Formats: sequence, C-alpha cells, structure tokens
Amino acid sequence: MLRLFALFSFCLIVLSSAAWAQSSGPAATGKVTVSGYLKDAANGEALVGATVVVKSLGVGATANEYGFYSLTLPQGTYTITYTFLGYEPQNVPLTLADNQTRSIRLKAQGVQTGEVVVTGQKPDANVRSTEMGTNRLDMKTVKLVPALLGEVDVIRSIQLLPGISTVGEGASGFNVRGGGVDQNLILLDEAPIYNASHLFGLFSTFNPDAVKDIKLVKGGIPAQYGGRLSSLLDVRMKEGNTQRLGVSGGVGLIMSRLAVEAPIVKDKGSFIVAGRRSYGDLFLKLVPDQKDNQAYFYDLSAKANYTLGEKDRLYVSGYLGRDVFAFGKAFKNTLGNRTGTVRWNHVFNSRLFANVTALASKYDYGLGVPEGNQSFEWKSNIVNYSLKADFNYYRTPQSTLNFGASAIYYTFLPGQVTPLSANSIFRPIALDNQQAVEYGAYIDNEQTFSPRLSAQYGLRLSMFDYLGGGTVYDYEGPNGRQKTPVNPRQYGSGEVIKRYPNLEPRASLRYVLTDNSSLKASYNRMVQYIHLVSNTTASSPLDVWTPSTTNIKPEHADQLAVGYFRNFQDNAYEASVEVFGKRMDNQIDYINGANTLLNKNLEAELLYGVGRAYGAEFYLKKNEGKMTGWISYTLSRSERQIDGINNGNWYVNKYDKTHYLSVVGIYTLSPRWTVSGTFNYSTGIATTFPDSRYVYQGLVIPNVNGDVRNNYRVPAYHRLDLAATREGKVDPAKRWHSSWTFSVYNAYARRNAYSIYFRQNEDNPAKTEAVRLAVFGSVLPSVSYNFNF
Amino acid sequence: MNRIATFLLAAGLLSLSSCIDVVPVEIPEGKPLLAVEGEITDQPGPYYVTLTKTAPYFDEAELPRVTGAVLTLQDSEGHLETLREVSPGRYATSTLRGKIGNQYVLTIKAEGEEYRAETEIRRTPEIDSIRAEFRAKSPTEDEGYYILYYGKETPGVGDYYRFKVIHNGRLLNQPNDLIVTNDEMVDGNYINGVELTDEEGAGGVPFKKGDKVRVEALSIPRDYFYFLNEMATQINNVGLFATPPANVRTNVRNVQPGSEKAAVGYFAGHTLRADSLVIE
Repeated sequence: MLRLFALFSFCLIVLSSAAWAQSSGPAATGKVTVSGYLKDAANGEALVGATVVVKSLGVGATANEYGFYSLTLPQGTYTITYTFLGYEPQNVPLTLADNQTRSIRLKAQGVQTGEVVVTGQKPDANVRSTEMGTNRLDMKTVKLVPALLGEVDVIRSIQLLPGISTVGEGASGFNVRGGGVDQNLILLDEAPIYNASHLFGLFSTFNPDAVKDIKLVKGGIPAQYGGRLSSLLDVRMKEGNTQRLGVSGGVGLIMSRLAVEAPIVKDKGSFIVAGRRSYGDLFLKLVPDQKDNQAYFYDLSAKANYTLGEKDRLYVSGYLGRDVFAFGKAFKNTLGNRTGTVRWNHVFNSRLFANVTALASKYDYGLGVPEGNQSFEWKSNIVNYSLKADFNYYRTPQSTLNFGASAIYYTFLPGQVTPLSANSIFRPIALDNQQAVEYGAYIDNEQTFSPRLSAQYGLRLSMFDYLGGGTVYDYEGPNGRQKTPVNPRQYGSGEVIKRYPNLEPRASLRYVLTDNSSLKASYNRMVQYIHLVSNTTASSPLDVWTPSTTNIKPEHADQLAVGYFRNFQDNAYEASVEVFGKRMDNQIDYINGANTLLNKNLEAELLYGVGRAYGAEFYLKKNEGKMTGWISYTLSRSERQIDGINNGNWYVNKYDKTHYLSVVGIYTLSPRWTVSGTFNYSTGIATTFPDSRYVYQGLVIPNVNGDVRNNYRVPAYHRLDLAATREGKVDPAKRWHSSWTFSVYNAYARRNAYSIYFRQNEDNPAKTEAVRLAVFGSVLPSVSYNFNF
Repeated sequence: MNRIATFLLAAGLLSLSSCIDVVPVEIPEGKPLLAVEGEITDQPGPYYVTLTKTAPYFDEAELPRVTGAVLTLQDSEGHLETLREVSPGRYATSTLRGKIGNQYVLTIKAEGEEYRAETEIRRTPEIDSIRAEFRAKSPTEDEGYYILYYGKETPGVGDYYRFKVIHNGRLLNQPNDLIVTNDEMVDGNYINGVELTDEEGAGGVPFKKGDKVRVEALSIPRDYFYFLNEMATQINNVGLFATPPANVRTNVRNVQPGSEKAAVGYFAGHTLRADSLVIE
C-alpha cells in the first residue's frame, strides 16, 4: 500500500512538472495566460472567489483562496471584467501577445459604513458553480444578526443554515446532516481545531474581528479535504491591512475585543493581531467570598504575510485560546487550543499555483486540586504536526486540476495524573500515549464540458498508521456489557500496529437548466481516522480524542445529494432544495454506564455499528433591498444500529432533528439604523425516558422496559432573537467609526428544555418528578459598542 | 473523581441564567419486573433480601411486594440455606455466615420464573479513625463540621468501596449522599483525611457539637461498584454534561429457559467496618 501511495504521489509530481514544462512556451501554442491576484483596494485583502470574465468569449476564472487567478486565452485583444459581490466591477482592456501578470484591486461599494464586505461571490454563483451543500457566510451579515449576549459568533451563525444543528444552546460543536460533533473538520487557517468552544460551548473560539471568510461544506466535499465524515468548516483569518493602520474593537457585557492591523511594508506585507478576553472574573473579585474564584477565557489571533517576490508569498498565522476556571485553592481547570501555520505560496508560472503548508495544532486540558492532601493534576491532550502541498494547475479555461499530498503526525495523551504534594493521597497514573500518522494524496479536476454541464471529480487516497509503542488488547464478551481485555501485545516505539488504507472518490456535477436555474448532484466517500470519545449529551471539554486502533476502526461515510438551484428576479432571490442520503459505518457508541475518562481499557466500553441519515433542505435567501435575510428549513432523520444497544434495533441519534427551521431578517431602517431578528424552531433532542421505577436502599431508580434507547423527545425548541444596530455619524473627514448594538436573546423568555431528567422529590422520596433544565430561562438583553478606525 | 464532575457541573451552570423546574411529562406505564435488594456481609446475620416489583414511574404508592417466593443462598464452601419470609416480601437467612473470600449464589423462584444472582465478599482495609473537622467558610465550602476518613488503602489495584454516614441514627440518604469510589488513583496509599460529607448531615441539618456520627466503610465487588456508580449517575443526572439516561445494571439474571423477563436490582456481598464519634 505504501508503494501505491508513493506511486500516486510520484504521479502528482510528474504531473506538476509536466504542467510546468507545458506552459513554458505559450506563444508556440497560440495561447497566452493572464494571471495575478485580486485584492481589495482599501486594505489589500485577497478577494477569494472573485471572478474574471472575458464576455466576448464567454470564458472565465475564479480567484482561489489566496486571491490568485489564471485564465488562458487565444492571443488577441479583449476586455477583461473583474467582479466581486459588493465591489465595483472593473473592465480592463488587454492586448495579449504573451503571458501577462495583472493584479487588480477592486473598490468596495457602499464604503460609507466603513465596513468592508470581505466575502461575496458572483451573484449567480449558487446556480453556476458545481459546489453544492456549501454555505458561505459573509462577516458583515454575521455581525448584523442578533447574537447571544451581543457577541458575534461564527459557529452560532452557521447554525442558522440548512442542515446544521446543535443538541442545545449551551452545547459545544454542531451537527451537520445527521453527523456527530466530532465529524466536522474545523480548520483555522488550515490548522484543525479540536474543541471550537469557549465557556463550555456558549461561545466559539473564533474572534470575528480576525475572521475573513467562513465556508461550510456539508456535501460534495472536494478531494483536497479528508479526515472527517460530515463537513468541512474552513475559517480563514484576515491577512491584515496592506495600506494603512487599522484598529477595530468592541466592548460587550461578557468580553472586549481589540484588533490591530497594519502594513509591514506597504503593498508588500501586513499583519493583524486580534485578542478577546472575558471579564466575568473581574466582577467575581468584587464579591468578598468569591474573590479567589476565576472564570474567564481569552484568545489571541495573529497573522502576518509578506510578499517575497513576484512569485512568492509567505503567511504565518497563529492562534491561542484559553479557558480558566478556578475555585480558590480547591479546584482548577484550564483548557484551550493553540495552532500555528506557515504557508508559502509559489507561482511556478502563470498557470501553476502552489501552496505549501506546515502547521501544528494542540488541544489540551488540565484540571486538578492545587494543594492539600487531595492535590493532583490531570492532563490530557491531542497534538498534531502536519505538512502538506496543494497545487492548482489551470490547464485550460475549461479545466483546472487540483492535486496535492499531506501527512499528519498525531500524538494523543489520553490522561495522566500527577500528585502535587508529598502528602497527597493520589498516586501517579498515566495511560499510554498513542501515536499515529495520517497520509493523504489527491487529484481533482474542475471541468467545464459545455456551457451547461460542468463537473468537479477527483480521488483521494488516504492511509492511517496506528503506531507503537504501547500495549494492545483484544476484547472479549457479549456486546452491551463491559468486555474483558485479553491477548495483550507489546509494540515498540514507531512500529506500525495497524494500517488502514482507503480510497475516497468524490464527484459533483452541475447542469444548467435555464439562465437562472440548475440541477446538481454529488457523491462523496469520506473516511475518519480519529474519534472523539464522548458519552455525555453535549460534548464536554474533558472528552478525549482517540485514534483508530486495532479495535476502533476508521469510520466511513458515503453521501449522495441532489439539488435544484434557482434564482429569481435577477438574482435578488436565491433558492435551493437539496436532498441527501448518507450511510456511515464503524460508528461508535457506549455501553450503559461507560466510563470514558482515565480508562486504560476504554475499548472495553465501546460498541460499534452503522448509521444512516437522510433529509431535505430548503433555502430561500433575499440578497437585495432594504429587507434581506433567509429562511432555511431542514426535514431529516439520523439513526444508528448498534449491536448491544436498543436490542440491536435502529434508534435515532440524540442529535436527530426531524424539523429544523431558521428565519433571519435584516432590515435597513435608515442609513444609521439596522434592525434584525432570527427565529428558530426545532424538534427536541432524542432521549430515553423511564417507564417504571424501583427502590434500592431508599433511593428511587428509574428504569425502562426492554432497555430501549432514545424513545422520547424533549419538548420542541423555539426562540426569537432581536437586535438593532445604530451606526455612528459618518464624518468623511474622520476615519473613526463606531456603532452600538442592542440585542435581546430569547425575546419571549421561553424555557427551552436542554434536557428532561427524572428524580425523587427532595422532601418526599416516595414522590417522583420530571425536571426540565433550561440553559436560558429568561430574556437575555445586551448592549455592545464597536468601533474601528 | 466524582467531585470533579460536580465541580465541572457547577462551573457549567454558574455563569448561566439557567433554570430547573418540574414539568408534567406523559410516559407509558411499564410492565412490572422483579426488583431485588439484598446483601450478605462478613458480619453476623441474619441477612435480608427484599423482593418487590417495579411500578409506573410516577406512581407514589409503595412498591408491590413479592410474597411466597422461594429463595436459596449457597456459598462457595457448599453451605446451602433456604430463606424464611419474615414479613411480606422480606426474606432472611438463619444459619449462613458471610466470610471474606467466599462466593455466593442467590436463587429466586418467584411467579413462575427463576433468577440467579452471584456475588462475593472481598478483602477490606480497616478504618484508622474518623474525625469531625470544623471549617470556616471558603469559596467552595460552607462553615461547619466535615466528617473525614483516615485509614490505609490495601495495596493492589482493584478494590472498590462504599461509605455510609449515619448522623444521630439517621443514614444520610439523599441521591447525592451515595459515595462509591475505587482505588485506581490512591492504590495502597494512606488516606489522610478525605471528606465523606460536607457540613450538612442527615435531613439537611448541619452537624453540630454533641452529634453522634457513625461511618460504615464497605469493601464491595467490582460489578457492584459499577451498579452503585451507575445508580449515582442516573439519580444525580443533571447539567450540560449529563450522561444520557440509561438503565442501571443488575446482577439478577433470569435463568428460566425461554423466558426473557428481566429483573432489576442487586444482591451484593460486602464487608462492613465501622467507627463512631461524638462531635466535640
């Protein structure tokens, strides 16, 4: 298999050099290439997805995620039109006799707000592109939508889109098309984020001031990406203003934010540094018996880029986020992610663009008691180092080849306990570290067959090596009960314990029906090699990632989706209907009462089975006018069948939502006032309710006949949020701009059930009751102040 | 380690305007199953087994007793005894004596079904002492007396314990008073003062000077530890990171050929060591 792998990689390299050679003599073929970068005129940010069109020929190209474009044309004289949603188009007359480099700066429209639209596409992109199951969110919209406690949040915002839900409002992570929270590949400047939440899930780790572009792909995932079953959330950080110093920030009830961006050398390089910190703990300090308690989080995002020459550009970015909770000297818990990414863009020639990335990412937590006879420190982490190379080869205007290879080295520290004082009752314990390498290589072609038919198809080859050293067991016993470890085997350091190779075909097809409608279809096979072990309703920060091992097999998913896309009234409205079906295998579940923490025989508590999810997603969006917004509705089902649970019958996943509706409206009242509202409705999460009780030593225990799983739903969830933003007076002479945002979360104060549990009455043990836990039981008003200059 | 879960839970709820209230829920009435509660210890008998039937969850009546059942208890030394029904649904031994190191099999013939439950009595450490310590108010603790445990844990991982605290003759028996633990993290160490309680005693009344406190330390089998641990999880199951509701395990198995009627509850063997004090 390794040889096959090497062969594949070799082919890619040959291909790239062939491409290089082929483009070295353009004039000989009568074809020439115009290439370059598309940037924002005001701040130099790359315009990802901007388009370059030669109207007379009906051909065009799209700028890649670094703003690079390449378009190959017959020699001649043309007018090239550069467009990007929210920007003034530019027409550039060009006489092409030889290859040319043209970097273009587009001016944003509506600059009076001082806010720059950082994401946008061709107005008819949803109909024209082969992408489906893909949602982009533009940060300007995100900032206008009502936010919890006034804090703009990337992950909460994507939950307003079809197919994306959550098990509850305090829950970390999100579920895409009936998948688990660990089945989303969350990338921040290409570095994976293993726990995307602050404060146990209330806020996401991304600082909106540092985010340039968010893309969520839930179907038709390109071959470039792999490693998770359900989705790709690609978050890209701003590059920093190449023209002038820019400062932005905000003050809210929970946290404050500040971002600074500036050129390093004008037009050559720039940086951005953005930070946030919550200050709940500062209030705690004012309360005498709370002054030793701490509860806060912060994060820092930084990025710099530098143009080394016409063909080379370097990006360095980093992220550090931390949550800290402490109760005096009695208990302390810290957790967070950190990432570092170095990227090098190289333009081999006008048609071959390459990016090489080296990155590191770590999620870790520690908790413990700092002193006393019960002092200890418990640590756990997942670390990965990764190297990858991605190439875009603009073969012809009709065909772009993307190919590349990657390797990820993982280490897992499942848990390690150390006593912190000599008199501690605890002894040191360490579970074996685990190591693994995940390889990937892919090739994919974006092909336009005719003006009507285009496709993107590719193949990803992935392989996972579970490495020693460590002890490996088999597990014996009936499914559904704790198994017994048998047959221990020792493996030396670096030895391959188990190798899993996989082929992952991907394809998307688009067929244009009319000028404003198209049909799309996609298929993708995804493989996931690392898994989050989580046996709680919402994933907890103490959950541990585990590699595929001899017992835990890689998860596979096959997804088929078909969609109809249609725009109305000159692209003022866009609408889509997508239907998907998904089959998954090697899904992980847990025996009743499983102990997932600090358990060296964790695999004795795991059960495996198959899953399926299917559904229909309806989306209608209004892009223009005083009133904008969207309605998204998802009808779906997500189930699994696992030997040892629910008597081997299919049962719905806890995150299964039959109905999921979001309505978002943004209304511009006047140049200074914007009001917005969102409404959510969803089926309650699935849970197990008892049907009987018994008493053991005076305590009432609930029981359900037949040991069924997820036989009930908590009541339906619905919520209305409102917000109003007041922009400060615009004074063209000053750069200072500010705004106030007032918001109300849970406007009609519904006590949405996060969970329903059963207990005996505190005062009368003979009496039993069902109890509702609502994360937010009341209206949450907030105000925040934002500024930039 | 349960304390960690509690801390996390507290932290998870601290900052939220969360609320908890009792709500009406419609659930069907499950069919009745045999519920077993019984134990054998290394202390002199008689030992009791109580048989009841499960009842609909919201039913407030006392559980129906299972009378007229035939129960036999056999130890690994070959002693066999049939239990007497001393009151409706309550069965007692007369001669059998529990002993550390022995295994036990309880057989129940009731309502046309036959069930078996197996258990054992494991080794136990001795209690060194228990103490009542007065603590001032702190960010994590209220002011009052805390009951602490002192004693050496037996070397060798694989011991499991339950602690019971009796305050002026009343067992602390709210759902969150159920304390079970294992020696995974403390194996063979001297336990030099670990809280078995907070400042609240039985019935939520604080411990005070002159109160009588008795602590019982039970060394329990591994499977019984899991039973009690799952039970503790299920009856204290609240918060953001609650475990999904699920049935608690049992060691009572239906051995009637062809019958799938399950039973619930536990017949457990354990040791019992106790110490008492009067708070001064």
